[in-house]
Amino acid sequence: MHGDHLNRILYVEDDADIRKIVSMSLEMVGDYTVAACGSCADALEVVDDFAPDLLLLDVMMPDVDGPATLRELRKRESTADTPAVFITAKVQAGDMAHYRRLGVFDVIVKPFDPMVLSDRVGQIWQQYRSGGHDVAG
Amino acid sequence: MKEQERHNLAYGVAGLLILAFSVWTFNLLFSIQSNWAESNDVTAMDKDVHALFDPWRNLNRPGNDVLENYEVAAQQRALRRYLQEYRQARGRLDVHSPSQVDLGDYYRGMDTAAQEVETLARRVLELAEERESLRNAGADPVLISAAETEAATTMARMDQAFQSGLDIIAGMDQILDQRLLDLDAARRAGVGSLYLIVIVALFSSALSLVLLRRTSAQGEALRSGSERLNAIVNNVLDGIVTVDEHGKIESLNRTAEEMFGCSSDSVVGRNFRRLIQPESRPLYDAADFQSGSQAPGSVSEFTGMRGDGSEFSMELEGTRIKMDGRPIIIHIVRDVTERKRSQKRLQLAATVFENTSEGIMITDRSGRIQSTNPAFTAITGFTATEVLGQNPRILQSGMQTRDFYEGMWQSIESTGHWQGEIINRRKNGEAYTQWLNINSVRDDSGRVSHYVGVTFDISELKASERMKDEFIATVSHELRTPLTSIHGSLSLLDSGVAAKSPEKSAELVRIAKDNSQRLVRLIDDILSIAKIESEKMKFHLRPIDLGELLLDAVEANREYAKQYGVSIEVSPGAPDARVLGDKDRLIQVLTNLLSNAVKHSPEGGVIGLETVRNDGYWRVSVTDNGPGIPASFRGEIFKKFAQADASDRRKRGGTGLGLSISKAIIDRLGGRIGFDSQPGVRTRFYFDLPMMQPHWGVEKGAERIVTSAGLAAPAE
Repeated sequence: MHGDHLNRILYVEDDADIRKIVSMSLEMVGDYTVAACGSCADALEVVDDFAPDLLLLDVMMPDVDGPATLRELRKRESTADTPAVFITAKVQAGDMAHYRRLGVFDVIVKPFDPMVLSDRVGQIWQQYRSGGHDVAG
Repeated sequence: MKEQERHNLAYGVAGLLILAFSVWTFNLLFSIQSNWAESNDVTAMDKDVHALFDPWRNLNRPGNDVLENYEVAAQQRALRRYLQEYRQARGRLDVHSPSQVDLGDYYRGMDTAAQEVETLARRVLELAEERESLRNAGADPVLISAAETEAATTMARMDQAFQSGLDIIAGMDQILDQRLLDLDAARRAGVGSLYLIVIVALFSSALSLVLLRRTSAQGEALRSGSERLNAIVNNVLDGIVTVDEHGKIESLNRTAEEMFGCSSDSVVGRNFRRLIQPESRPLYDAADFQSGSQAPGSVSEFTGMRGDGSEFSMELEGTRIKMDGRPIIIHIVRDVTERKRSQKRLQLAATVFENTSEGIMITDRSGRIQSTNPAFTAITGFTATEVLGQNPRILQSGMQTRDFYEGMWQSIESTGHWQGEIINRRKNGEAYTQWLNINSVRDDSGRVSHYVGVTFDISELKASERMKDEFIATVSHELRTPLTSIHGSLSLLDSGVAAKSPEKSAELVRIAKDNSQRLVRLIDDILSIAKIESEKMKFHLRPIDLGELLLDAVEANREYAKQYGVSIEVSPGAPDARVLGDKDRLIQVLTNLLSNAVKHSPEGGVIGLETVRNDGYWRVSVTDNGPGIPASFRGEIFKKFAQADASDRRKRGGTGLGLSISKAIIDRLGGRIGFDSQPGVRTRFYFDLPMMQPHWGVEKGAERIVTSAGLAAPAE
């Protein structure tokens, strides 16, 4: 377990441009430390050293998608219980329940405003800390 | 009418016989009557002859005593008396004149004999007187003796005459007796015949009576039989028309009159063909009812024509029989218009049932399957015989809840109808989605008699809907991704957080610019593929020189290749390489293939472009020496949004639609597209198009506009 403050975020996103924008937003607006990875394989490489407080995963990725990446990360001791948030363009009825079952704490829907993204991540962290669940994006 | 002639002959003969018989009877009666008359006559005559005997036998013939006793005077008186008696008896005989008996000779003989006896008797008496006178005179005894001698001689001669008279009378008696016997016999015979006649007459009368009774009974029977027959013939529902061997109508019954809409009077004597619609007449002639060659009971169909010219379908039966020694044809006619109409309706219904693409299943009230059509078999895999008598439950997939079926039956029971989607299972176990429409069918009494299920397999529709949904989801993801980048980078720039770092600002601007371009490409490609798939893309077909086409394509892509440090080489092609195609579309295909090759070529790589013959097609190929296509990706390469890996897309900036658009264009032009790849050595993409044939004859400058749906192989 980490401290009360959210600091380190492991972010997995296949699209390089979005990865860059999200990283900049989290680092410059939210002042978080971000490990941005292009794929599940990249993430598994850095996760143990990085020891993240929060996992931020894109859902639609080729080869190994968000849920599969999460399953892989859960196998690691460092991220076995780390709260996970999905970023996706696609949330349909039933998807949320499905993500909950996968052990996802919350979902952020694309397209997002990079200026409020950090605040959104911060809110989710606060809810997590208080032990509540928020379904709304 | 030979029968009639025989009858007439019999009547004639019988008449003649009766006439002869009457003549005979009349003669017989007449002869009996004359026999009676004659017989009486002869009997009376015989009596008179017998009466003649007595005076004749008593006739006083003077004898020797006259000479001895001299009783001349007494003798003379006796002679006169008896002569008188004889003459009376003899006179009675003259009144009789029987025709059959001629006694004339006897009468004359008798008269002669009587005359002679009288004369001789008178001489005897004269001589007796003479002798007495002589003796008294005392004459010479010689004279007395002479007188006595002469008297004796005369007496002898008188006896002789008397005897001959007696013989004559006896002869007459004998003749008359014989005649009486003859008459008697004749009469007996006549009376016998009369008895026979009476018997024959009685018998004949009795026979006639019997025959008459029978004949009249038969006549009555015949009369009432023919009335009965007429009544039957006129009241049957079939038309009956009799026709002679030449086809002339002899009679038609009431039904036939109504059927043909004409009276007997107007058609009897006319040819039966007139009742048949003209176009149908050759058929009637071919049936050849007149020859009697038709099998008994065989029925043919014709179009009949009514008196007013209207037509109707009729069924015709022809039976040839012999009546009164000549052939007639009995036609039985049925109006089958209504039957044909309902037959046609049924046939149409059956044809629809058999040929419709909707599966139809009919069950009885209790849900047992009674009938299914071929489409049902095509959809479910179950044949009609396999499901006959089964409950439709055999189709259940288990993917519907109990509530679903309860709702279905509730609806059928309350409204007689249910429709909706249902997942069933085919015979081979495969689940499929079908649209099912169930209706209950009620009989005349309003009770549900059957249920009809009409269904069509919508699994393909469902699959294509799913594909469309997936495509839309993919497209929206593909569009959102660059939009997210554009929006995100512009927001960061706008907020000023990146202002401190010029590098970061520049990076954000580049991201926004790149993604804007990508968005434009994506939209272009998505529109292209949508147009091709909805078959709305127009192809302007004209003969295309492949050599020129390749040069144009290289020109259009040279700058792009230069950015990647790649060069393109075109091999000199065949000068006659021409195809029928749309130049802009083919440039689009070549651009896709060339840009793929450029993106995957190592820096300094060379792309080869050439045209070769390939069995009736021209093959255009683009070869690079890039890393090649991973084996796992080869089956996916022409699918939409297919890219070997995601990083690939980012690096190379493609939309993942280029190859699927290229394939669609080449398919529409009647060609084929393909590739072969040796990873790490070379990869070659090619397309084949049919060689331009001279007879496709597209005039110079002319072009054909064909929608993308309409072109498989170029048509004339």
